[in-house]
Amino acid sequence: MTAKNFVGSYFDKDRMTTIQYPEERKEPEQNYRNFPFLVFDKDADHLRCVACKICETECPPQCIYIEVMRDEAGKIIKQPKVFDIDYTVCMGCQICVEACPFDAIKMDHEYEFAHENRFTGLLMSKRELAKSNDYFHSIKPAEATEVDVRLAEEAAKKKKPAPAPKPTAAVVPAVAPKPATTAPMITVPDDAPFSPEQRVWLQKFLSQVAVASPGKPPAPTGAPDAGKASDAPTAVEAPTEEENPDLTNDAPWHDPEKDIGSRMGMVQGKPLAVKLYAAMGQTDCTACGYDCKGYAMALAAGAEKDPSLCVPGADETAAKVKELLDQAGVKYNA
Amino acid sequence: MIPTLPETFDAASAEQPLYGPRSYQVLSGNDLGTQLLEISMGPQHPSTHGVFRMDVVLDGEEVVKLKPVFGYLHRNHEQLAEKTSYLGSMPYTDRLDYFCSMTNNWAYAHAVEKLAAIEVPERAEYIRVIMAELTRLVNHTCLIGFMVNDLGALGTPLIYAFREREKILDIFEAVSGGRMMCNYMRFGGVRVDLTSQDLKRISMIVDNYPYFLDEFEKLLTGNEILMSRCQGVGVLSKELAINASITGPMLRASGVDYDIRKVDKYGIYERFDFRVPIGDHGDVYDRYMIRVLEMRESIKILKQALKQFPSAGDFINPNVKLRNFRPKAGEVYGRIESPKGELGFYLVSGGGTMPYRYHVRAPSFINLTILEDMCLGEKVADVIVILGAVDIVLGEVDR
Repeated sequence: MTAKNFVGSYFDKDRMTTIQYPEERKEPEQNYRNFPFLVFDKDADHLRCVACKICETECPPQCIYIEVMRDEAGKIIKQPKVFDIDYTVCMGCQICVEACPFDAIKMDHEYEFAHENRFTGLLMSKRELAKSNDYFHSIKPAEATEVDVRLAEEAAKKKKPAPAPKPTAAVVPAVAPKPATTAPMITVPDDAPFSPEQRVWLQKFLSQVAVASPGKPPAPTGAPDAGKASDAPTAVEAPTEEENPDLTNDAPWHDPEKDIGSRMGMVQGKPLAVKLYAAMGQTDCTACGYDCKGYAMALAAGAEKDPSLCVPGADETAAKVKELLDQAGVKYNA
Repeated sequence: MIPTLPETFDAASAEQPLYGPRSYQVLSGNDLGTQLLEISMGPQHPSTHGVFRMDVVLDGEEVVKLKPVFGYLHRNHEQLAEKTSYLGSMPYTDRLDYFCSMTNNWAYAHAVEKLAAIEVPERAEYIRVIMAELTRLVNHTCLIGFMVNDLGALGTPLIYAFREREKILDIFEAVSGGRMMCNYMRFGGVRVDLTSQDLKRISMIVDNYPYFLDEFEKLLTGNEILMSRCQGVGVLSKELAINASITGPMLRASGVDYDIRKVDKYGIYERFDFRVPIGDHGDVYDRYMIRVLEMRESIKILKQALKQFPSAGDFINPNVKLRNFRPKAGEVYGRIESPKGELGFYLVSGGGTMPYRYHVRAPSFINLTILEDMCLGEKVADVIVILGAVDIVLGEVDR
């Protein structure tokens, strides 16, 4: 600030470049980023976040902590029970925003934080992080509008065909010759004296017997293009799900808090699809394009060739899935 | 009583422990019985540009021995990157040389793109060039400001430099969301597109920059004090510069024509018409002058890039996976010409989501290794300006 500009500022306000900070504030740029917040559409109890933990995994300084919400029966509700971000650790890199498939976490413009408690004062809980979509519109109109349009398109796409995970479930029996994706069946006991190759062959054989045996509904001739079939008859779905309790959301291994070792322990001797299901990240985040059981079934049926789509499960899941597919002799894209 | 030594005692070559008690001997070139003085410059010294220490042994005003001591800002950058996803290291590269986060991002993205054979769309290449050259302007302008500040020109030139830098940082903020921690480049492109408004702002800065440089040069280039303090000071010979693998403006000031933009022609640099300034004496003044000339060349590149900027196209390769990014197994060394020199990233992939080995070839660090050679025989006050002209950022030196 020169004397010339100071005098000039009495005639032209723009020449006064100094902003009198606490009273006046500079409007931040739309793209400005500081710390993340969580977006909700209707009310703060219904966040867009589905607690898939992708951001928790991807966050470089590991400042996010998420716990999944459950109802009284212990079933997962797709909402975070705990969603903490430690603002003292967060470096504002925006990786969580880019990683989120649900547009649930966005960067805020807020930059005035101070707290007398240095340990937990800036540990933001879900309550403090939740902000409305209207607020998002007020700080970043361009991005918010783009997100709204995209979400509306996705919702419209979802509404028209049958709900996304279902078709895969319906199609699984269609690939009956492939090993063991349907129905309860005879399994080779673990202590039976067979080599792994023999075991695989036997399992395959038994599963074919099980499908072909009378009393079971024959494989419906659904669309061969699994995963994308949209006109699957609902009549077939219901019995499939009822018949195989292992491929439902109530399965005991459908629990992201159990580690992969104990999950795999629960499914010993079960068919391939069930084993794959247990190997998934179990958060039903749908980042792969399916829910957990849908992805497992698509993989087992050979409809999905990419074994490394599971983000919450990361390397552990990818390695396990490849191992299982190798054992069963199902082809995939390495 | 002060012990005396034979007249031929060469303090510089005498091996002394870096830590612990040392015996300080007397130089007896004259009859005065003078004593060598060891001083520790830094780590809390304003002109060491951060937490850097020089263990200097002085004979009167003259430097007879100098040991750079660094590591105060070590934060395990390379090990962290081996435990983070490929994308997860991108924001950490901002924090290497925090003046030039854009070029750091580019160097890392360049290495990963080489590793995973990712194509970069044309528009993204132009955006990258624009951002990198703006970063070069920021770096060189500020460096000159700091260097002159070290010479005792407190304030004025540095404030002028910062005034110009703020304008460019405003653009970085508008585009990437961060002024210094940009985290802007992505594998296969950039994170946010440039709008026409951004381009207008950039071209305004580019158009006005030569006037600022003229003013800046009028203030400094012909300045008598600057000339007498910089000319013939801290001379680095061509041979030593090459042997010590010095890169960047330091190397070119010593008269070696080596600019990776010309040598590798990475990105789209072959499309631009620009020259590489070469120094003659290899002293501090040449290093200052090279940077001024490089800024003028950067402006030339920027003008061409803005003129050729494609009006449409992708700003990022849409086929690159953001989550679960797994380049196939292999090793790669990707390098670019950062404002400080050759910035390279060496990556070894095991096929997983995290690199098996991640190494940064930091120009600041390697350019610092010959500090002693440049300082021997100089006055202690010149050590400051020699260090200033090396252009170091401790975030990059220590990693």
